[in-house]
Amino acid sequence: MNSDPPQEAPLPERLRSTGPVSVPISRPRQVWPRTLLLLALLLSAIVLGTGLGSVNIPPGEVLGALWRGLASQFNGAELVSNDVIVWQIRLPRVMMGVLVGASLSVCGGAFQGVFRNPLADPYLLGVASGSALGATLAIVLEWPRALIPVSALVVALLAVAATLSLAREGRRFPPTRLILAGVVVGSVLSAGTTALILRGEDRARQVLAYTLGDLGFSGWRDVLTVLPYAALGCGALLLLARALDTLQLGDLTARSLGVPVERLRLIVVIAASVATAGAVAYVGVIGFVGLIVPHMVRLAFGASHRVLLPLSALLGGALLVYADLLARTSPLSQVGIVTTLLGGPFFLWLLRREKEL
Amino acid sequence: MKAFLTLSLALASLAGATTYPLTLTDDLNRKVTLKAEPQRIVSMLPSDSETLCAIGACDKLVGVDDYSDYPQKVTTLPKMGGLYDPKIEAIVAQKPDLVLVSKYGKIVEPLTQAGITVIVVNPETYEEVFSKTLVLGKIVNREAQARTLVTGMRRDIARIEILTKNAVRKPTAYFEVDPTPYSIGPNSFMGVLLTKAGARNIIPASMGDFPKVDPEFIVGANPQIILGVDAKTAAARPGWSSMTALKSGKVMALPKGLDTIFSRPGPRMPQALAQLARIIHPELFK
Repeated sequence: MNSDPPQEAPLPERLRSTGPVSVPISRPRQVWPRTLLLLALLLSAIVLGTGLGSVNIPPGEVLGALWRGLASQFNGAELVSNDVIVWQIRLPRVMMGVLVGASLSVCGGAFQGVFRNPLADPYLLGVASGSALGATLAIVLEWPRALIPVSALVVALLAVAATLSLAREGRRFPPTRLILAGVVVGSVLSAGTTALILRGEDRARQVLAYTLGDLGFSGWRDVLTVLPYAALGCGALLLLARALDTLQLGDLTARSLGVPVERLRLIVVIAASVATAGAVAYVGVIGFVGLIVPHMVRLAFGASHRVLLPLSALLGGALLVYADLLARTSPLSQVGIVTTLLGGPFFLWLLRREKEL
Repeated sequence: MKAFLTLSLALASLAGATTYPLTLTDDLNRKVTLKAEPQRIVSMLPSDSETLCAIGACDKLVGVDDYSDYPQKVTTLPKMGGLYDPKIEAIVAQKPDLVLVSKYGKIVEPLTQAGITVIVVNPETYEEVFSKTLVLGKIVNREAQARTLVTGMRRDIARIEILTKNAVRKPTAYFEVDPTPYSIGPNSFMGVLLTKAGARNIIPASMGDFPKVDPEFIVGANPQIILGVDAKTAAARPGWSSMTALKSGKVMALPKGLDTIFSRPGPRMPQALAQLARIIHPELFK
């Protein structure tokens, strides 16, 4: 095994080719058609996701249901039959998909940029294993359902705190140490989760469903709870896009250009962890979206973070809604299973493709 | 009918004793030979433990899994772990001449290598509850008792079925075994009991025996009774408060005890059915 490369060393050439290396000039005029394309994709996902499912509802009825649902917020009228399905079950589920898909994708893009590592994903620093442990704890101890996401969120943030304090070197957070610490914290927490599952065998299925990621039973209240985490985390990351671009030139260059590299790294990690933990808390661990979507955007639209992060949000949201639609209408049954089944092969293809370039 | 029962009972006892060595094919399609009537048995499945006791072989048990808790007698026996964390050394230390196990888990191989006879008896469907009871009867030389038990169970179940068949209205029902949510298909043994208890299961057979259900399917089917979820949890789920069952208050978690009996493919199936029928059709049991 080779010894660790020095931190300032550039990435190996083949990883850099499609890796998160900034494209020096982004041309805003060319960005708009692409944004509109992805916006259309997201809108079609929302429309299809709301109309189709285990009960098929014709488009006209969907529109009517949406209108009556909106009106009922003001006139207090009670919804009946299919209106309930559209307004209270599907639309919040679709919106949750948009929020979670967007959050995970933006965080993935930011993580890949800040660590200059194309394999980085939003779960890198132990967020996923922390959430899983927290949720498992709540499920095995039979706490009420409302407490499951709270417990997941608390343990996830504790896990990130543990990773940060382990990786700290004075006032600096070197990327290699962060990733290593994240892996270690993640493994220890996963071991704890496994031990808990074995203790509470009859709850194992519920825990498994959570660790595979599931959007079922997402209601408006859940959406509104996740929204601030997503807005705060993703908003901060979008504001930091320009600094992330500069960081691609290397820590030294970025520093000489006036970017406070260490502080930037810490802020990105915290912002991404807040958004990821919020997403994971309600719907569990949804694999591969955060890893794949930024790569797709980078391949198609370029690597500048000012383009990458917002477009990742659009594509990630659309992709997760489509994946959930597939999950709801097929025996694959859970969105996390769908994303992993689709994302895994895509990722391998990406790796092979990079080798050829 | 009565004459037939008496006759078959008489024939059963005439059928006489099991002859050893006994060779049979178990639920993992393994050929197993028992050299003699087993005297020291470890049961790693709660339903097998219950069946052995119900056919008069309780005294042969020298150890059970952590979840065996019925009848009273088995609670005093040494605990040998669960499906995923069996205490193999403790099992071997009991010097059993037979270990009964589930087809899941991984203890068949190490126990067989330790020279212990292992038989997989793992009832899963409704009919298997009866056929496996007879198999257990043969294994422990209690064939007559096993037949009597099976006849008794079928009779008790038929008695309840006659009542529920005459019910004026059979409510549609959603039964939740797990809040993820998982439900039961009509062909699973629990699903058969639900139907026999006089309910119409909203889950079609095509969805499988223990399907994960899309929440909007449940709301779309709008069942008249919801079992396996308490009313508070159900009302808190998005869109559920508009369902018929919630409006009429016919939502309940299974009472403590019934949830265990109902999920156990063993001799207490008629009791589970009786309790379930009472919940679904209280008017028939006045």
